[in-house]
Amino acid sequence: MIRVSKVFLFVFILFVLINNQIFAQSVYVLPYPSQMPGNKFYTVNRVIEKVSYFWYFGSFGKSNYYQRLSDKYLVQAKTLFEYKQYLLAYEALLLSNQYFEKIYPYLLSAKKEGKDISEKRKILRQEGLKHIEELDKLKKSTPENFLWIPEETESSDLKIRSLINTSKNIRKKYL
Amino acid sequence: MKRFLFAGYAAILIALTFFSYLFVDANFMYFSSPLKGFDGQHRSLIAGTYFLLISIFFGIYIFLIKNYNLIFPNLSKLKKIIMLLLIPVFAYPAMFSYDLFNYIATSKVLFYYHENPYLVMPIDFIGEPTLMFTRAANKLALYGIFWTFISGIPYLLSLGNYLVSIFMFKLFAGLFYLGLVFLMWKLTKNKLSVVLFAANPLVIIETFISGHNDVVMMFFALLAIYFLRNKRIFLAVIFLILSVFIKYATLFLVPLFLLTILQYAKNKKIDWSRFYLLAFFSMFAIFILSFLREEIYPWYTIWPLTFLVLIPQKRKLIYLYIGLTFGLMLSYIPYMYFGTYSDPTPFIKILFMLFPPACVFLYQVIKVNKKSIL
Repeated sequence: MIRVSKVFLFVFILFVLINNQIFAQSVYVLPYPSQMPGNKFYTVNRVIEKVSYFWYFGSFGKSNYYQRLSDKYLVQAKTLFEYKQYLLAYEALLLSNQYFEKIYPYLLSAKKEGKDISEKRKILRQEGLKHIEELDKLKKSTPENFLWIPEETESSDLKIRSLINTSKNIRKKYL
Repeated sequence: MKRFLFAGYAAILIALTFFSYLFVDANFMYFSSPLKGFDGQHRSLIAGTYFLLISIFFGIYIFLIKNYNLIFPNLSKLKKIIMLLLIPVFAYPAMFSYDLFNYIATSKVLFYYHENPYLVMPIDFIGEPTLMFTRAANKLALYGIFWTFISGIPYLLSLGNYLVSIFMFKLFAGLFYLGLVFLMWKLTKNKLSVVLFAANPLVIIETFISGHNDVVMMFFALLAIYFLRNKRIFLAVIFLILSVFIKYATLFLVPLFLLTILQYAKNKKIDWSRFYLLAFFSMFAIFILSFLREEIYPWYTIWPLTFLVLIPQKRKLIYLYIGLTFGLMLSYIPYMYFGTYSDPTPFIKILFMLFPPACVFLYQVIKVNKKSIL
């Protein structure tokens, strides 16, 4: 009887754990990877990105702009980490962090303008969860530190694990 | 007879204005009407009354065309009839289409919320009261950037009052209608051209009741042609671009413009009647192609009609097209009667749309055959 109870308890715990894992997944969908550094259209892409800053006016517009860019650079970082382009990936993740931090202040100004931000806030939360989910995956597949030695310029000591942790903490602030 | 006609024209416009209030959306909170929901409860009565009103309206229109020289010995008489068009400005706009509410919603996103309507949808503004009755609020701005920009004029002039903004948007469209009619006169110096367009019931209903912006796009297109005729190419190009950035459809005129500029460069004489006919067919092509995107909307007929009336000698084509405008106005009936966009409405809509032009075509064929026998 005790053995049956133990098996039951084990199955129950396993069920809860598996279920928890399912619930932890965010429904937020990240975009496809855009052009990567080195692509001949990459610079054009960056210019369009800078110019479109003016097109994305208004507090909702600006929050959308930074949300889009934060997603874009997270996906870029993820892809570059997979190809072991650590320096470029590191820089992309830094950019994603910068942009992510700019989303919420614009939502706050929208609130001050009298706009209901409840839905946007939910989306930001989902975005943060999705980012954390991806960052957790990255953590498992990347080295803790990496010394990037280019041919001509100075080498860089990339604290990848630390950056991933910082990135996660930035997202957690807005959950 | 003229007085009787004038009174009849005013009476039909007043009747249509009153009739429009039977279609007030149940969620439209800016005025309380005891007739809210009437259109849903008395479908056959509504459809029958509409058929009668629209038939009388087209009847008067045909009478005006047939006797335009008698009725309008000078332009001032025509101006009187045009003045009557202030009546339907007071009609409820969403009798057939909710587009006017959509224009106002887009304007509000830009000029009230200070957000880009090409990125932020009206539905993003939770608690926005007009979302209760505005349709397509889950879509980004559908029209060109120039329209979005100039729609700020009626929006800002309404000082935030929704009912005033409805009238302002209609008056705004009305101004371009007047401009369009004036340009038609300038280009043709033909009263028939003006009467054919200005008195067409579809043009009047879609502009002054529904408040559609098609006349705005066509005004800039015709202004471009006016400058093209006067060999002021730069201004012509600018106004054509402005027209395209209202509703995109006039993009189909670009090849014709380029061809004409090329002919100018070669010092060739331009046959303007041929130009208008080609412009008519270009706009008719995009009108037909709109079926692929969504469906053929009655107000799209304004695009080709603008050019067709410039060649009033093409009587047969004009009558055939008038038949189509009548058919398209009748095509609203199946929805009024069935209260649904699904079967059998689409099929009956097509039948209603094609029946009048088919009748005109048959009449023309019989007439030609009779003449050839005699």
